[in-house]
Amino acid sequence: MIEMLLILFAPLIGGLLYGFERIVRARMQNRQGPPLLQPFYDMYKLIDKQAFIVNPYHSILGIMHFVTLWIVVAFIILGQNLLYVIFLHLLSTIFIILAGFSVKSIYSHIGANRELLAMLAYEPILIMMAVGFFMLNGSFDISIIREKEASLFPLFLLFLAYLTVIPIKLKKSPFDATEAHQEIVGGVEIEFSGVFFEFLYMAKWLEYIFVYLLLFLFAGNNILLATALFLIVFLLLNLIDNATARIKMNHLIKIVLGVGITLGMCNLLGLSYV
Amino acid sequence: MRLKNLSVIAFVMVLSALSLGNIFAYGVPFEMNLPDVFHNLFIFLDAVVLLYFLWQGILFKHSYVILFALVQMLLYGAVMLLSPSVVSSDILVDNISSVMYLVINIVGGIIIVFALEYIESETFTRVRKNSFIAMLFFFLAVMNFIVSTNNIEIFFLLFELTTLCSYVLIGYRGDELSKKNALQALWMNQIGGVAILMALIFSILQYDTIYFDVLITNSEPLYLLPIVFLVLAAFVKGASIPFENWLLGAMVAPTPVSAILHSATMVKIAPFLMLKLFPAMSGFVSLTVTLIGTFVFFSASLLALSKDYFKEILGLSTIALLGLMMALAAIGTPEAITACLVLIVFHAISKALLFLQAGILEKSFHLKYVDDIDGLVNRSPLVVFFIIIGFASLTLPPFGAFIAKFMAIESIAGEIHNNPLYVFALIFLALGSVFLTLLYFKVMTKLFAKEADNKSQYVKISKYYTIPSFLLLALLVIGVYISFEREFLSSLELVVPLLLIAVVPLLFATLLFQKADRVKEYNCGEKDEIQLSMYYFHMPRNVQLTISVLATLGMWILVLGVLL
Repeated sequence: MIEMLLILFAPLIGGLLYGFERIVRARMQNRQGPPLLQPFYDMYKLIDKQAFIVNPYHSILGIMHFVTLWIVVAFIILGQNLLYVIFLHLLSTIFIILAGFSVKSIYSHIGANRELLAMLAYEPILIMMAVGFFMLNGSFDISIIREKEASLFPLFLLFLAYLTVIPIKLKKSPFDATEAHQEIVGGVEIEFSGVFFEFLYMAKWLEYIFVYLLLFLFAGNNILLATALFLIVFLLLNLIDNATARIKMNHLIKIVLGVGITLGMCNLLGLSYV
Repeated sequence: MRLKNLSVIAFVMVLSALSLGNIFAYGVPFEMNLPDVFHNLFIFLDAVVLLYFLWQGILFKHSYVILFALVQMLLYGAVMLLSPSVVSSDILVDNISSVMYLVINIVGGIIIVFALEYIESETFTRVRKNSFIAMLFFFLAVMNFIVSTNNIEIFFLLFELTTLCSYVLIGYRGDELSKKNALQALWMNQIGGVAILMALIFSILQYDTIYFDVLITNSEPLYLLPIVFLVLAAFVKGASIPFENWLLGAMVAPTPVSAILHSATMVKIAPFLMLKLFPAMSGFVSLTVTLIGTFVFFSASLLALSKDYFKEILGLSTIALLGLMMALAAIGTPEAITACLVLIVFHAISKALLFLQAGILEKSFHLKYVDDIDGLVNRSPLVVFFIIIGFASLTLPPFGAFIAKFMAIESIAGEIHNNPLYVFALIFLALGSVFLTLLYFKVMTKLFAKEADNKSQYVKISKYYTIPSFLLLALLVIGVYISFEREFLSSLELVVPLLLIAVVPLLFATLLFQKADRVKEYNCGEKDEIQLSMYYFHMPRNVQLTISVLATLGMWILVLGVLL
């Protein structure tokens, strides 16, 4: 029952998280920041806007991105297979990439292209992370991982690798070249407007839920540790977002892939000797 | 004309029915011995084939072809002089052969039906058109035989016959380039023949047998030379890097040839041979083959990213997946074997589907390069649909290739506990599968690229083209159903992605958002016409060289490691 409610309200929780984050980030810069419910006010405003589309395919693929992401989150909450969830998440990313390419817009194409490249950087790390959990727990099932003890310590290097993935997924500095508002005006988002943009906006919130749900896996059955991890990562993420500048796409790939693969490999090698 | 088509279709149906019957009637492996007459005939055929290769080499003044033909003759003579005493049966049909029959006859048969129409639009004489179809059938026959044989000598003959088939079919157009690539395929595949003969000689000297089953059950971990040479032959047939050029060169042939080479025949000998050999592999051999296989998977996918020719992209992805299949077979756990078989079957279906579309693109739209297929979705939604399903079935859940990849990660992860070096196999696999996804969607994005709602010419496609594609699609769906039956994934895990993928074309067809206003794309106020092209990944020459060197090094390590 609680799981169903969680799944149902996942986008809303993500919205609240996003609103909260904006306040935290503003306070770090000594600003007041928007109210907590600002994302929902935005949503309300978007409904009233006149609907513009470039072509129907584009809009449909955008909606499918949101739907698939919601299913991914549902699967994690229900405790399905971790590796499977990662691949299903790939499918949701693919929908938005296809949407980006389906319009004849330079910015949309560059954005979609960068999404593809970013996927190249983080996807192997996610797979290695899943393998790390498998070697430790003997199963890919999230429900089993959640029942076991915290695996933060034995998987610490993979945890560090995962930390580099989070800013990419949440479009945070220094790894936000995929969105890069000032240069490519939002990348794949650019041609969405009005009601159709709402789906993309909500998908963004779901991305928050996805990222933090995966983070909780490192805490296993330890709820205290999960909360601590969440708070630390949340603050760290926003601190880094405020304190760093965007780096180029090719640097992003080199850094994330290089660091991530090395850390992951060391971690898996270490696990095999235990 | 009509009669010919009908009889071809009927024959394909009979073949498919037989191979289906075989899989349902399985149980005890079927064994049989051939009378001596056949053995003498096979020796005669061997001599003829090798002489033909030599003649072709002399005719086209190709030194490698002559060299390898002579070496093979010499080695074959040596094999003839030795007389092994431990005997077994010549024919052995087990479960793996049954699965191979399905792939060869059903997928191969569908491709032949497609070829009926395709070859009509070529400018050959009637005799050459008909002999093309006959040649394809001969190819299927050889393949059916090769997966049933237990005698390495017969295996060698059939191996050479597939080489012969590919040589003739690749050079079928008869122009300069075709001839050149056919000769390349010939000499490279002859290396495989040399490897098999070496394996035969070592097998006779050490184990006194020319039969697979005796060799495999008796093999000692300290003397695996025959096994390793057979593995090398598999790498050659599977067009693994550094032998990849023959398969890529095969692209000049008529498209059904590429389709049949890539999906149902020829290259599938490689994983089949590995599946036969894995029980005899020591830990070292198994690890090295896995590492080489996953490395090929990784690097072929990487190389494919820099390609533009549609068939070449498909070719490199075949090489990559063959590497994965061989790696899985070498791991040899029950799960890995299942994954390997699933991959063999689904790869055949998906690749056949994609190659048929490549053929249609060439014939109906005169398109060869990915960059030109801009906005194809307006001109032929059906072809686009098939291409998308083809690519999706190679990457996404719930299709077989996805399940195989999924199980591959699981089985390699399970092996890391035994030997930490499998971590590298895992990394190659993870990176390779992302590269492949990137590659497939690079092509797919091009299909979607659509100008804001303009109408363009709708092209009608012949029934002979679309029906085989629909049949392959049906096979894919049956495959999904079987994986549901066999519980590879839970029903939820199967149904949800299937629905997601199925709902997209439905929405495309129905949802038009009539109420929403149409706008032009945002262009920062610029008025210039823009031309969007596809992205490329520049692959420096030295990267390609390094990859080849590393792969060759791996093979040397394999041989030397066993020797020491």
